[in-house]
Amino acid sequence: MTLALFLLALGTFLLRFLPWRGEGSLRAGQAGPALVVALFLVSAFNPPPSPEWLRAALALLGAYLGARLTGNLGLAVFLGAGLYGLLGLR
Amino acid sequence: MRQGLKAAWPIALGYFPVAVAFGALGAQAGLGYLWFQLTSLLVFAGASQFALVGLLAQGVPPLLAATLGLLLNLRHAFYGPALRPYLKGGPLEAFFLTDEVFALALRALPGLLLERRRGYFLGLGLGAYLSWNLGTALGALGAKGLLAWPVLGEALSFALPALFLLLALPHLRNPVALLAGGVALAFHLLGQTAWGLFLAGGIGLLWRRP
Repeated sequence: MTLALFLLALGTFLLRFLPWRGEGSLRAGQAGPALVVALFLVSAFNPPPSPEWLRAALALLGAYLGARLTGNLGLAVFLGAGLYGLLGLR
Repeated sequence: MRQGLKAAWPIALGYFPVAVAFGALGAQAGLGYLWFQLTSLLVFAGASQFALVGLLAQGVPPLLAATLGLLLNLRHAFYGPALRPYLKGGPLEAFFLTDEVFALALRALPGLLLERRRGYFLGLGLGAYLSWNLGTALGALGAKGLLAWPVLGEALSFALPALFLLLALPHLRNPVALLAGGVALAFHLLGQTAWGLFLAGGIGLLWRRP
């Protein structure tokens, strides 16, 4: 078990480190924006489609409006998360 | 670094409940506290940590469990090259390079002075790392009750999607990003999230700006 832990730790570190360190061999193209959008979509929408999607969408709208009104990323996240919690109350 | 630490709080907010759940899982599985905390201290990659523990608990051979955990992290290989125009990656920077740290850094680094970027990134990573490890420790030590109040637990768990939305907003008119996101979402709905993210990174990587 400990061996597995060390292998995972080392492998994960190398996956993060080597491509970053590599000098110009790997141009990123539009990987950044592509990954950010992908991370958003997979984090917000869980299978299967359900009423939870509406709750998530409303909370995301709250976060968006929070960002527009305050210009503060942290506060907007806090607002979206709070709204999501409140919408789950029965 | 202080600026990065301050900016890390949305990530810390989102990491905390997941890390508490991870720590509690270890306590339930009867795994030694030290071993469990070590996974958070050394790996610092949530999904693969959950996978490692789950696979080992099911009796999967350790080498195979570690390999499967690594497959989940393949997408991390795209993060460094995407950040390279803004920051040179050293060992410490690479260690902190999680999904959320990457996404927030990609947004913030271009607007920072060159000499401030490294400190900012390390502050960001350190804030996320401290939250992840504190949550793991509290969960393992039996503090899962912290999240028993439904509003709090669920609200905190939604901090990361809300953060990702705000980071994704500037890219939602980018057709390549939308295509990649659509592919990732389709794979996610089929239960293959890690492969979907890897493919999304690949699509973005291959698509050069005109």
